[in-house]
Amino acid sequence: MQQETQLRYEGLIKDDRIHGSLYTDPRIFEEELEKIFYHGWVFIGHDSEIPKPGDFITRSIGRQPVVMVRGKDGDISVLLNRCAHRGSTVCAAERGNARVFTCPYHGWTYDLSGTLLSASYAGAYDQTFDKQAHGLPRASRVGSYRGFVFACFGQESMSLDDHLGSAKKLIDRACDLSPEGEIELTAGWVRHRFHANWKMLPENDTDGYHLGFTHAGFIKVIQSQYENFTVDENKVDGVLRDWGNGHTEIDFAQGYKRPFDWFGGGPEGKFAHYLSAMEQHYGRAAAQQRSFDGPPHAIIFPNLFLAEMNIVIFQPVRVDECIQWHTPMFLKGVPEFNTRLLRQSEGALGPASFIVPEDATIASRNQIGLEARTPEWLEVSRGAHREQVDSGGRRVSHLTDETTNRGFWRHYRNVMDAR
Amino acid sequence: MISEAEYRAVTDFLYKEARLADESRYDDWEALWEDDGVYWVPATTSDDADPLRHISYIYDNRARIATRVKLLKSGYRYSQVPASSLRRVISNVEIEKTATGEFVVGSNFLLLELSLQAQHEVHLWGGRTTHKLRWVNDELKMFEKKVVLVTAGEAISNLTFLI
Repeated sequence: MQQETQLRYEGLIKDDRIHGSLYTDPRIFEEELEKIFYHGWVFIGHDSEIPKPGDFITRSIGRQPVVMVRGKDGDISVLLNRCAHRGSTVCAAERGNARVFTCPYHGWTYDLSGTLLSASYAGAYDQTFDKQAHGLPRASRVGSYRGFVFACFGQESMSLDDHLGSAKKLIDRACDLSPEGEIELTAGWVRHRFHANWKMLPENDTDGYHLGFTHAGFIKVIQSQYENFTVDENKVDGVLRDWGNGHTEIDFAQGYKRPFDWFGGGPEGKFAHYLSAMEQHYGRAAAQQRSFDGPPHAIIFPNLFLAEMNIVIFQPVRVDECIQWHTPMFLKGVPEFNTRLLRQSEGALGPASFIVPEDATIASRNQIGLEARTPEWLEVSRGAHREQVDSGGRRVSHLTDETTNRGFWRHYRNVMDAR
Repeated sequence: MISEAEYRAVTDFLYKEARLADESRYDDWEALWEDDGVYWVPATTSDDADPLRHISYIYDNRARIATRVKLLKSGYRYSQVPASSLRRVISNVEIEKTATGEFVVGSNFLLLELSLQAQHEVHLWGGRTTHKLRWVNDELKMFEKKVVLVTAGEAISNLTFLI
């Protein structure tokens, strides 16, 4: 067979099936880094992680080391952590506060927006040396929505607003659980290594079908609202939604029975302060609706997962390795929720939790199984005949169908073939 | 100052707890816990880790320890089906006795894990454990176990065996 110089994803992603090589071919992985992570909008971090001028965090976007920093004037910069001189990283810490960034190699110093302040022993550089051209590289575009900071390092022409589209409502659903309309990510991050391709994470996280199987142990042993979604197929309430642009959702709200089911329930008194604050800010009807519906469970393509009361980031490492980050989503104005949020976060996510390690094991087993040469294709046809379209133009389906997977792959194909 | 007999009893406890955890003898391991037990594996090596403000890998009260064991015994904990093959070595033991006769025990460990659930991978885990023990009817039981992994702040693989 003739070696193709350019891969065509329309040949690998059909309406009802996708090709196994999407998870195992290292050339595809490299193209994803280029086309999705280096040229599209990606989630970097949240406002609340860098509250004060000089605060910074470091992240990896694909293999590129990145710094997100708040400048003296309060503005956020997203920079590549790479000295303009000889390529060292100027920032070794994961987080901290700095007045300037100084490279340890030759002492070049940059301000918090990445501008070169001084190259040491500058006498060696003559008037042709353009300081402006020797700053820390800045992401070509940075945008933020309700404190969620996204960046684009390449030539993406679509605005952040267009990339998010109506999926902004998913972010709203998270932030609007706070009486002050803000979330706070201050608990630190846990990073969980998966021996599997990164795309299995967004696929799995908006897959409602696997709950009673992969998580059979959790369902049997631990009482939770998720039981509602592993009953007889005809009794499962809750839906999947494809929001377009690769953003996908499981909406459990229709399957909840009482307010705060998403939070482990509890006597009314427990939530009295919260409800009264919510009523004050949003009115009684909205307060009650939100306390019933709870947070979102949705992917913002490609690397952000609004994991109910947690925020999750997907980090691709190699074709068969990725890292899932998570932190609990604290609500500004409701500190009394924090210890429960921490304990629930530990119960659900992370390498020692009661839910996600099973997903990690299954993903690893998938990675092994997908080395089988046959069949070449994976089924993603589930429920295709029973999808509906809602008034917002979104595909909606039964909780156990594969509408979300098809939505992810549709957008992925568009991105990978367009660039 | 602790006696030879006390030193021996405490280290015997450490070795026994390690063996039960290594061999996935879940019920026997759980029986070592007191009702006020707290099992803590921080997600940072920092001294100011605060489980009430910061996320941990594990921060179990006694009820959650029981749930953890039940899940492992359910047969559906795929991240430990089959159970990882484990052996740990304990060393650098330092023991303090409190005014109320309880023991605060520091020790280092290196644990070799062979994960058997998917790709067979050898993982080396290590760190410092602090146990708090008390006598209950001539037996030592633990009411606190804090494990600070050397790799606490890094990306780590499934940690669903007993560390």
